[in-house]
Amino acid sequence: MNSIQTTDTFNAFHEVWEDVDSSDGSLKDFTIAIKDNIATKRGTTTCGSKMLEGYRSPFNATVIDRLENAGATLVGKTNCDEFAMGSSTEHCAWGPVLNPWDTSRVPGGSSGGSAVAVATRMCQAALGSDTGGSIRQPAAFCGVVGFKPTYGTVSRYGLVAFASSLDQIGTFTNSVEDTACIMQIIAGYDELDSTSNPEPTQNFIDDIHTPVDTLRIGVPSQYRGGNNEAPINDAITHAIDTYKELGATIIDIELPLTDVGISTYYVLAPAEASSNLARYDGIRYGHRTTESCKDLFELYAKSRAEGFGVEVKRRIMLGTYVLSSGYYDAYYKNALKIRRLIFEEYQEAFSQCDVILGPTTPTVAFKLGGKEDPISMYLNDVYTANTNIAGICGISIPCGFSKEHGSSLPIGMHLQAAWHDDAKLLRIAQMFESATEFHKAKPECCS
Amino acid sequence: MNQRQPELTLSDDAVRHVANLARLAITDEEVIKAREDLTAIFAHIDCLNTVDTNQVEPLDHPTELINHVRDDTVGKSLSQEQVFSNAPAVKDVYFDVPKVLGDSE
Repeated sequence: MNSIQTTDTFNAFHEVWEDVDSSDGSLKDFTIAIKDNIATKRGTTTCGSKMLEGYRSPFNATVIDRLENAGATLVGKTNCDEFAMGSSTEHCAWGPVLNPWDTSRVPGGSSGGSAVAVATRMCQAALGSDTGGSIRQPAAFCGVVGFKPTYGTVSRYGLVAFASSLDQIGTFTNSVEDTACIMQIIAGYDELDSTSNPEPTQNFIDDIHTPVDTLRIGVPSQYRGGNNEAPINDAITHAIDTYKELGATIIDIELPLTDVGISTYYVLAPAEASSNLARYDGIRYGHRTTESCKDLFELYAKSRAEGFGVEVKRRIMLGTYVLSSGYYDAYYKNALKIRRLIFEEYQEAFSQCDVILGPTTPTVAFKLGGKEDPISMYLNDVYTANTNIAGICGISIPCGFSKEHGSSLPIGMHLQAAWHDDAKLLRIAQMFESATEFHKAKPECCS
Repeated sequence: MNQRQPELTLSDDAVRHVANLARLAITDEEVIKAREDLTAIFAHIDCLNTVDTNQVEPLDHPTELINHVRDDTVGKSLSQEQVFSNAPAVKDVYFDVPKVLGDSE
């Protein structure tokens, strides 16, 4: 606890917990931080929002019970963009989180605090949530492994809902093997989440060091464009060469809907968010205005206006608009149709290859305050949002460094695999990690 | 391709209407900023109209799972004390709210 408090000059933690005795189990040696949008009976669960300042959950998320029962030591709650809406962890009511590789830059988001906690080795692993890239993008920006499982693999019970058909809990670690160890515990059907996968849980650990034979890697032309910074394209070329040396076959594929993914996402996610966040009414829990209100409507409207930050309000209004009478078909329903096309585009791709390879992000970590207009912020998720739209799994692993901006900044490689191919995806990621050293690099502050 | 050409510029009234639907109090200053931001976002989202979605069925959920039905048995639930523990205002065993029916005071 004390070491975290001394090291955390990055605002990664909202709360650090006292050490307690953990039970025995396969995660006995793991210290794990929890994103602040996952409900814990210990401490508070604020989602980085004034709306939930001081909120104490009366129950644990399923993942929390599973981690504790497996002997993990939970070290505290990490800061995130408010209600997980953001790509920089600047939209956190408790202040921005700083990137340990260069503190003038963002750690990515929305799970920025979790990524920083692991990058700085304040703890061995962290849980995050990923709705359009919120695990993989900060993992790339901070040089750690970030995994978003197939939708339904990990119970969402106790994950504060943002966009329910896109949200998935996942992990941050410094190695693929650690990811496998945690997934082995948190994956699996949960009767409290009716969207969790009822099939038997995959085995993530046993074959983690067994390379995948006759590995076919699809590389979409859409992922290799001029939108990427040059060092990122170089690192991806190098990663492809590494896989070739390991015996993989590289296949050129096309994912033409990559570019419309973000627009589809920014219809679907805000629509679901506007509905999910309607629960914050200032009555049962959460912030209530202290101004006198003449009726319930005014109480709702004032409490919500005071409790929510600017990005959350923007998305609630966007979502309300696309669901409103007269616009539902043109925006929401049309986006759902494109969702099916994206789903089918991946089906076609995975008939040709085992895994799709590209960069996690088009740029390395950007400057704090560097993306003031919402759209340039949203475009950070250009390579990650479609993973959630289709519900497949994706992982970001360290694959290089960019020196283009002065400091040495991590680059992430993004691997996506088909529905329920999570264990195989981890094996493929492990092949690269075993052949490279990038995951061992630490920011100067903790080396 | 679509029934309605999305409008590219939102009016202040449209922003106020949406804020009202979303139960968000909004200042005149915020209306202007929201109008600008939402207009820019809708201009970007407009690329969705370039995709041919004729003959495509909407996909609202990636699992396409069929509804789960549980046995109708009493399970664990929160105690009254737990339910009220985060409430901003409680009177006896009720959530305290402004008057709902009749004339406002």
